Amino acid sequence: MIAVSGVTKAYQDGAVRRQVLRGVDLVVARGETAAIVGPSGSGKSTLLNILGALDTPDAGSVRVDGVDLTASRPSALAGFRNRSLGFVFQFHQLLPDFTALENVMMPGRIAGRPTSSLSALALALLDQVGLADRAGAFPQQLSGGERQRIAICRALVLEPAVLLADEPTGNLDSRSGEQVLGLLDTLRRRRDTTMVLVTHNPEVAKRCGAVLRLDGGSLAPG
Amino acid sequence: MGFVWHIAVRYFRSTRADAHIRALSTLTAGGLAVGTAALVLALAALAGFQNLLLEDLARHTPALQIEFGRGAAVEGESATEGARHLAELAAATNGVAGVQELLYARGWLADDDRPLAVEVLGYEKAPPPWIPVQPEATSGLIVPVSVALRMGLAVGDIVRVVSPRPGLTPVGPRPRVRTLPVDLIYRSDRAENADDPVLLPLEQASALFARGDRRLDLTLAPEADPERIGDFLRRGIDPAVAMVTTWRQANRALLFVLRLEKGLVFSAVALIVAVASFALLAALSMVLSSKRAEVGVLAAMGAPPARLQRVFLLLGALLSVGGAGLGGAAGAGLAALLDRYRVISTPSDVYVVDYVPFLVRGTDVLVVLAVTVLFTAAAAVIGARKASLLHPVEAMRSART
Repeated sequence: MIAVSGVTKAYQDGAVRRQVLRGVDLVVARGETAAIVGPSGSGKSTLLNILGALDTPDAGSVRVDGVDLTASRPSALAGFRNRSLGFVFQFHQLLPDFTALENVMMPGRIAGRPTSSLSALALALLDQVGLADRAGAFPQQLSGGERQRIAICRALVLEPAVLLADEPTGNLDSRSGEQVLGLLDTLRRRRDTTMVLVTHNPEVAKRCGAVLRLDGGSLAPG
Repeated sequence: MGFVWHIAVRYFRSTRADAHIRALSTLTAGGLAVGTAALVLALAALAGFQNLLLEDLARHTPALQIEFGRGAAVEGESATEGARHLAELAAATNGVAGVQELLYARGWLADDDRPLAVEVLGYEKAPPPWIPVQPEATSGLIVPVSVALRMGLAVGDIVRVVSPRPGLTPVGPRPRVRTLPVDLIYRSDRAENADDPVLLPLEQASALFARGDRRLDLTLAPEADPERIGDFLRRGIDPAVAMVTTWRQANRALLFVLRLEKGLVFSAVALIVAVASFALLAALSMVLSSKRAEVGVLAAMGAPPARLQRVFLLLGALLSVGGAGLGGAAGAGLAALLDRYRVISTPSDVYVVDYVPFLVRGTDVLVVLAVTVLFTAAAAVIGARKASLLHPVEAMRSART
């Protein structure tokens, strides 16, 4: 589960100090889905980065899957991200020098998993999203929807406890976006994964168990 | 293949795809190839010359001598007994094949016309091995060709050997003189032959030059190490009584200059490798710049900074190893060809050989490669450290800006 308490975060923007998060509290139980909505620049991605141990809060505590992220060393956080978190980014962020299959296998390679079993697992996932025949293709040879589906496979390959998705459909047409959301939901249910999703899209937010609005640096039911 | 290799090899391949990175990485490999080849060639040329010089020195310099001046006596024994004890000690040493007493002095050689100042060497048993004559004792003189030419001597001629210290007789001081035939004339083939000595039996030399410089000359077994034997003898001989000198010690000033020369040439040529290493740093920085977002993604997926650093270290090695290896092999091959076919000639009246000799030593090649690795590793560490310090969020954001 995710438990965030009193998190604040500010950025120095030239001479101006911009307070992005002001005492954010958030609890997402295991297997639940929460959508964070809010206007651009409200701090949605910052909060997601803090939940994903990619950024640190100025104050407050963050516990994800039983780990206190604010008290862990960077090297431990890297291991935690690899082991317990899956990321889906708005711009898929696939590695262009690697095939679809290799991209899906990448978290497992970082974890040092044996290549043969990892390859079988990744292929099975690609098969589930209907891209088994595209396993050898490079990202630049794939459509936007295909890339995002591969990014989802990559996020789920190590069966993480928590999935963090930042505008996963923001760059897709409505049909591809619908496909991606359906896929996320199916895979999440199958694995009882906790999910936090950042979106601008009210339709996407409606599909989640809880909707939270981030505005003025504070989080409130949306 | 582990994660680090997997990523580094793929990034290495991707350097071929981008024109700028390809140009820089080619420049890096080319620079390293030229640098290592130039270093190997320069060291091979130096080694070739120095090897000839050292061979010449070793051939014409006593391998190991024990110098005891006019007496080697410790308390309670005569000078002769002292010398005998030293000779026995030396002869019993492992690796020593023979010992004989020599007497060094300076005197004159005189025929009917004029005297000529010469170095004189009295030998006990036979001419020492570093004098290029048959090792057989004669009763007369063995004269270097330089002296024979200046005095117009031929084998069989009779000459007088004169000591600079006169002997005292009842009728006053009289010069010490021995009249001896020239039995042999020798050519030393040394690069510098101005001081080639005139040889005569020790008995005759002692009668003329009683105050000469006496030494024990040790002939060593073929595989014996003069330095090791010298160290062993030094431990058994009182330095106040006698001094042990190897050929390396006798020529230490020259050997120092040769080492210095090698070091200076190496340092100067190594600058090419240093410059090529800067190109490597630029190539790595460019790769990192183009892969910035991907490195951020890898970090977000849990790749620790140390492993990302290793990816770029390995990439640096992959970018440099081909150039360095090619350069080392090309340098060694070219040096072998230049030596084999004597491509570069030198004036034969200046040096003992009429071509530039090249000698490729394995240790020299290893040192060159080690220095190349050191320079490139330093450059790669700087580049790799940048990769490890990337903030994942900032790096990924760079892909969209």
